Amino acid sequence: MAITLERITPLRGLRCRACQVLQPADTRYICAECYGPVEPEYDLAASDANALREKIARGPHSLWRYADLLPVAEPASHFPVGWTPLVRAPRLGAAIGIANLFIKDDSRNPSLSFKDRPVAVALARALELGLDTIACASTGNLAGAVAAAAARNGLRAFVFVPATTDEGKIAGAAAYGATVVRVLGTYDQVNRLCARLADEEGWGFVNFTLRPYYAEGSKTILFECAEQLDWRLPDHVVVPVGSGALLTRTATAAAQLRQTGLVDDTPFRIHAAQPAGCAPVSDAVLDGYREVRPVRDPNTVARSLAIGAPADGDGSVGIIRASGGSAASVSDAEVQGACALLASTEGVLAEPAGGVVVAAAKALATRDVFDDNGSVVLYITGNGYKGTLDAGLLKPPIAADADEFRAAYAEVLG
Amino acid sequence: MSVTVRLATPLRAAAQGSASLSFEATDLGSLAREITARYPELAARVLRDGEFGRFVNVFIDGEDARFLDDGDLRGKRTVEILPAMSGG
Repeated sequence: MAITLERITPLRGLRCRACQVLQPADTRYICAECYGPVEPEYDLAASDANALREKIARGPHSLWRYADLLPVAEPASHFPVGWTPLVRAPRLGAAIGIANLFIKDDSRNPSLSFKDRPVAVALARALELGLDTIACASTGNLAGAVAAAAARNGLRAFVFVPATTDEGKIAGAAAYGATVVRVLGTYDQVNRLCARLADEEGWGFVNFTLRPYYAEGSKTILFECAEQLDWRLPDHVVVPVGSGALLTRTATAAAQLRQTGLVDDTPFRIHAAQPAGCAPVSDAVLDGYREVRPVRDPNTVARSLAIGAPADGDGSVGIIRASGGSAASVSDAEVQGACALLASTEGVLAEPAGGVVVAAAKALATRDVFDDNGSVVLYITGNGYKGTLDAGLLKPPIAADADEFRAAYAEVLG
Repeated sequence: MSVTVRLATPLRAAAQGSASLSFEATDLGSLAREITARYPELAARVLRDGEFGRFVNVFIDGEDARFLDDGDLRGKRTVEILPAMSGG
C-alpha cells in the first residue's frame, strides 16, 4: 500500500551513500539500486541563518527545536528528549591535562542515555507509518530507550540483547513493559538475528527498518553543543564509538550547521574513543586510517560499546581522517579510574562508556592532540546508575555512635 | 557442492522474487561468479569488483564470513546476505 505523508520538514528524499542515487522517502530502509545505506537529504540552501536561529530559540526544550533539520515532525505524544546540559569541566580538565574542557551530559535523558535521541526520531516515523510494534538489537542502552518510548506511546516493544548485558540495565527495559529477549552470543550475533526478524516480522526495528530516521536523531547532540556554545562548533569532540553511527552523524550535523550558516566553517576535529577490548575503529585510525577489521569476541567492561563489526566503522575512520582527528583505546582499569574521576571531579556519574571517553581524552591530551588549546567536548552518553555500580569504595557499616564514626573515618576527617 | 543463499526481501526483486537460491560453489569467490552469471541484477546490488561489497554482511551457516578462512563453502549449507547495519 502506498503511503502519502504530509511533512513540515524540508526533506528532499533519501540518498544512497554508496551509489548516490536520490530516492523517495517511502518505507525503504536500504538503497533499491545497490543495497547501500540511505540517508535523509534536505533542502537547506534557502535557509536564512538568522531566522533559523530565532526559530530554534523559540522552539521546545528538546531535540525537536531542530525540527527543520530532522526528517519527521515532532509527535504530540512523546516526552521531551535532549536539550541536555553542556557544562565546563575545569577540575576534570586539570586532572587530565585539558585547559578548555566541556562535558555534554547526555546521561540526563528520559531513559538515562543518548539513545533516547535516535529513538525519538525513529518513534516519530513509526507513528507516522501507523506501526504498533517497535523493536531493536541492543547492547543495553537502546533497549531501555525503545522500551520507554513504546510505553509512553502505547506500543508493543521487543528488545534483543546479548545475554551478557548488565541485568540492571535490561531489567529497566522489562519494567517499561518490553519483551526482553536475551540471546546467547555477541552483539553481532544478536544483530544478525534481528536483521532477519526485521525483514520478516513487519515491526518498526529502529536500527534496521527505521534506520535512516533513527540515525538522524544522533545529529541533535552536536546541534545542541553548537547552540550552547553560542552557535560555534567546538574545536574538538571526543565520541564513544560502538556502531559508529553517533560519530558519523556528528559529522553530518557539523556539515548541516555549516551549510545553513548557523555556524562558521571553523576547524572541527572528531576523535574516537573505544575500549581496548573492542577497538576496531580506534585501531584502524591509529594504524594509518586503514580498513576496519572486525573483532570477533569483544571483551570489555564498557559493554555498551562492545560491537565488534561496526556498520559505520569504515565511515567513521574516513570522517576522523578528513576532520584531522585521532583516536584512542583504553584499558578496563583506565575506564574504571576515569569513571571515578569524572564523578568525583564534576559530579557526573557515567556508565563505563563515559569512562572510555574521559580516559581516551586523557590519552589524546598526553599525545598533544589538543595542543591548540581549543575547546574540547566530551560526549557522556550513558548514566552510571543504569549499570551495576562498583561497590568497592564503600566501607563496612558502623554502629550509630559518634566515636565509632570518627575512628572509622579518621583518614577522611584528617 | 550445493549451498542455499537466503535473500532478504529488498533483494528478492533482483532474483525473480525468490527468497532463496541454490548454487554450486566451493568458496565465496566461486559463489560470486555464479551469482554474476545467473543473476546479474542481484550481482549489481551485492557485489563490488567481483567480491561481496562493504555494505553487505555475509554469514556462512550463521558465522560472519570475515571471521572464516577464505570463505570456504565446502560442507556448508546456507549463506545469508544481509545489509550491514548495527545499532547499540
